Amino acid sequence: MIEIDGLTRRFGEVTAVDGLTLTIGEGEVFGLLGPNGAGKTTTVRMLACLISRTAGQARIGGLSIGDPAAARKIRSLIGLMPEEAGLFPDLSAARTLDFYGRLYQVPAALRAERTERLLTLLGLWDRRDTPVKTYSKGMRQRLALARALIHDPPVLLLDEPTANLDPEGAKTVRDFLTELRNDKRTILLNTHHLEEASRVCDRVGVLANRLIAVGSPEELRRSLWGSATILQLAEVTGPVAEAARKASSGDVAVAGNLLTVPVRDPEHDNPELVRAVVDAGGQVQFVTESVPSLEDVYLKLIGDKR
Amino acid sequence: MNWRNVTTIAAKDMGILVTRRSVRLSLILLPLGVAVGLPQVAHFAGGGIPAGLLPRFLTAFLFFFAVIAVMLPVAIASYSLVGEKIERSLEPLLATPATDSEILLGKGLAAFLPPIAAIWIGGVVFMALSDRETLARLGHPYFPNAAAILILAVFVPLMAIMSVEYSVLVSARSTDVRAAQQAGILIVLPAVALYVLAEIGAISLDVATLSVVAGILAVVDVALALASRATFQREEILTRWT
Repeated sequence: MIEIDGLTRRFGEVTAVDGLTLTIGEGEVFGLLGPNGAGKTTTVRMLACLISRTAGQARIGGLSIGDPAAARKIRSLIGLMPEEAGLFPDLSAARTLDFYGRLYQVPAALRAERTERLLTLLGLWDRRDTPVKTYSKGMRQRLALARALIHDPPVLLLDEPTANLDPEGAKTVRDFLTELRNDKRTILLNTHHLEEASRVCDRVGVLANRLIAVGSPEELRRSLWGSATILQLAEVTGPVAEAARKASSGDVAVAGNLLTVPVRDPEHDNPELVRAVVDAGGQVQFVTESVPSLEDVYLKLIGDKR
Repeated sequence: MNWRNVTTIAAKDMGILVTRRSVRLSLILLPLGVAVGLPQVAHFAGGGIPAGLLPRFLTAFLFFFAVIAVMLPVAIASYSLVGEKIERSLEPLLATPATDSEILLGKGLAAFLPPIAAIWIGGVVFMALSDRETLARLGHPYFPNAAAILILAVFVPLMAIMSVEYSVLVSARSTDVRAAQQAGILIVLPAVALYVLAEIGAISLDVATLSVVAGILAVVDVALALASRATFQREEILTRWT
């Protein structure tokens, strides 16, 4: 649905996005992670035909973003939620959605139906006739999300949808994003919230002006750290640690009564590991998988880039 | 050009603008004050003005509506454009299928139509009240006449268009509504100069003079339209408007 090939944008001497190449399939939720100034917003703006590209190409639904004749059609395919909600303070939620629905040529009956459905889903229906200026930040973000969906677009570009929200507001938006996954929409999600990306996205890309890694959160974790097994023992003795080292593919870490043992293939290696430890006199209490968080992955990638 | 988009944007902006008390008051009080106030000058000072000079004063008074036609759209367009800039509401609007031209025209109409309507109503009231005050001395109703029609039907719209276009240019460089209004109000100076020159009799606001000035104004409007269209481009708005 979204094909990006060598997409580049420079602002004078500064290269905001450098040769981004990426394909996002239909119905896929793709998270773009990166620090401030990494080029995430610039990427979204280029894809939404809001700003031009310096080089490269991108196609959305088969339409080229560089083609002025296609710009209107591409914008019809996209629902954009910018980082700032950007609502009209004097308009109510219902009038806001009606206004945008008209601009997307949504027929009146369908506008009314979608307005009710979206505002109900996002918990704003009871406040539909209240001016937006009386809304909390969380309510505004939710309305901005409803606005992005009023024309039922096949592609959603979400730029930091939970930025600056309190935990409750962020959870409401995140839960709704999880529901959107089931709609088979193609979603590009810019986010700082790694837990959010981990939970919502099929794949993530780490952007620091260039795309420095891409894959599912699980793939990224494994590619950077491999697998490790944590054994909790009654006591870690010298022979037990030595047995674990022999059964391991890397450096074994000992912390109190915990052994962290790198393994190549947990399903194959763990039974042998446990057997070796038990044979060495170890009393195994728990066996768990060591899972680095997406935050660990992100920080490592960004740290390496710097 | 999708006119449905234009009217949708214009209707939304007008709906928001009329909720603002300051805009509502300026739309009502300014034209109405001039429409009712200036005929009173003819009423109270009329005896001191020779009947031969009355037409000149009355036409100059009516020309004051052209001055108002510059003042009012500046206030409204500044709210519309700088207000959206402050609220960051232009980006989602630019992300819709509406083109830059449709958005600009919609916003322009919202800043143009309410002042024009208010001025035309005020102008009609002014002419009616002025005729009532001067009928006995002139022996005939002075309004309407060709100069008055030229002022209201041609000058007022041209002045308002100039004001809207100038406001777009000023708003692109402003981050504060009041600052935009103050900078925008400079455009009123040429209109005020014409009014003062007419009042002191330095120029005559006859049909010939008005036609020449209207022609110049039309050229200025076209130039400003091109400049404002060049300024109001989504790339420019998102990367350069601060």
